[in-house]
Amino acid sequence: MTTTDKKTSLYDEHIKLGAKMVPFGGWIMPVQYEGIIKEHNATRNFAGLFDVSHMGEVYIKGKESLEFLESIVPQNLKDLKEGQAIYCQLPNKEGGLIDDLIIYNAKNIIDDVDYLIVINASRIEYDIPFMQKEAQNFGAEVINKSDDFSMLALQGPNSQYIIEKMGINLENQPKFFTFKKAFLDDCPVFLTRTGYTGEDGFEIIFEHKYASKLWNKILSYKDEFNVVPVGLGARDTLRLEAGLPLYGHELNENTTPIESSLGFFIPQEKDADYNGKALILKQKLKQTPLRRKLFAFVMEDRQIARNGYEVYIDNKKVGVVTSGAPSPTLGKNIGFCMIKFENLPSDLVAKLNNIKESIGTPIQIMVRNKLYNAKIVKKPFIKKNYKK
Amino acid sequence: MNIPDGILCSKTHEWVLEKDNCATIGLTDWAVEQLGDIVFIELPEVGSTFNKNEVFATIESVKAASEIYMPISGEVTEVNEQLINSPELINEDAFSAWLVKVKPQDFQQDSEGLLEYDDYKDEVQ
Repeated sequence: MTTTDKKTSLYDEHIKLGAKMVPFGGWIMPVQYEGIIKEHNATRNFAGLFDVSHMGEVYIKGKESLEFLESIVPQNLKDLKEGQAIYCQLPNKEGGLIDDLIIYNAKNIIDDVDYLIVINASRIEYDIPFMQKEAQNFGAEVINKSDDFSMLALQGPNSQYIIEKMGINLENQPKFFTFKKAFLDDCPVFLTRTGYTGEDGFEIIFEHKYASKLWNKILSYKDEFNVVPVGLGARDTLRLEAGLPLYGHELNENTTPIESSLGFFIPQEKDADYNGKALILKQKLKQTPLRRKLFAFVMEDRQIARNGYEVYIDNKKVGVVTSGAPSPTLGKNIGFCMIKFENLPSDLVAKLNNIKESIGTPIQIMVRNKLYNAKIVKKPFIKKNYKK
Repeated sequence: MNIPDGILCSKTHEWVLEKDNCATIGLTDWAVEQLGDIVFIELPEVGSTFNKNEVFATIESVKAASEIYMPISGEVTEVNEQLINSPELINEDAFSAWLVKVKPQDFQQDSEGLLEYDDYKDEVQ
């Protein structure tokens, strides 16, 4: 931990709860309170409350806001209605990813703002200058609001009932991947139906001064709805089980969204040009070979694969584990790995390039200088429980 | 949790209890607390020998793998097989969930520099 690590508005609350604090993306954050497995299971079965105030927020405004955003993400934003949100990526000129993000159409919701973007904490310093430079070609302004807001994630099947208790009945709650302005326990917030766990739930964005009040109010429902505070440790196992990528692990500047297995989110048809479009679309349409690809795997031996461990096929090194952990829900050890296609036999590449055929492919993971068996599986590892 | 009389602790957070030329070795309660939920353990084979400060086992929490070092030199005479399928026993009681028993090479000499439990506690806190 260095003295430059920033504290969220809830730092004192975390200390009070006995959290273990660790540095993460320039912040000092809770990694666990009572235990990762307990927090993980509470989120899947009841509700978990996460301080995600380290996340960045960006406002986009100006008469060419839409045209600007369409030029920096592969997604079609023309049809994104007021209050709707969409998962997007931010490619560089070569099609590698600078970040992944969620774009909210904020027109008529946030005064004088066209879009709200939520970005990764560790990427704020890269995203903002990049977007500001790109915006110079458009009548659009990029405003970094990351220092102005705190953010909570309330995730799990009981989340909706907690939000109901705090003043917004079930019918009036935002639907999946939408957001609205609301009052929660008299605090003005942006309430979004999004998250990073594979469960139904909310993300709540608000001014710092409401942080402790909202945090403690939500946790006061612990007897009624079994809500517990959850740290980064369980956040990681929850997102991994849900098959969701983490920047710096599954996503990086040298890997396209297709190679990171996000092809599902990349539309084949888009009128506007965007950074990396030529390569990304060629890969999407299978007109050019992939250089590497991300796969989900399950360990067949008892060992746990970890970030950075080497991946082998037929005793030949082919790639690296990008994330790996025990899955509390499945009771198995799971992970993601990036397999390089160069120097692989062409029949194997063909098999790996076909999602259906790739399932079940045996791989080995090097754990403490020995190879252990694993196999490629379909992602996500668990069924998502979104309320759509 | 009972802290056994006479245990010595290393700065790398192993405890050792010597009796009748048999040394029982485990991980300190402080170390276990830092690791959190323990989900996997890899123990050495009976009959293998280790020098003091050599890695002899690996313990994994949900978040990370940690290497465990020999506090003394010797030959492994027994491993706690129960931990293979129930590593969480270490979380329940770090002192009853021993990892290995060792026939020490020279306990007198190797135990120099190991700390009594109270001094160890002062050191880590």
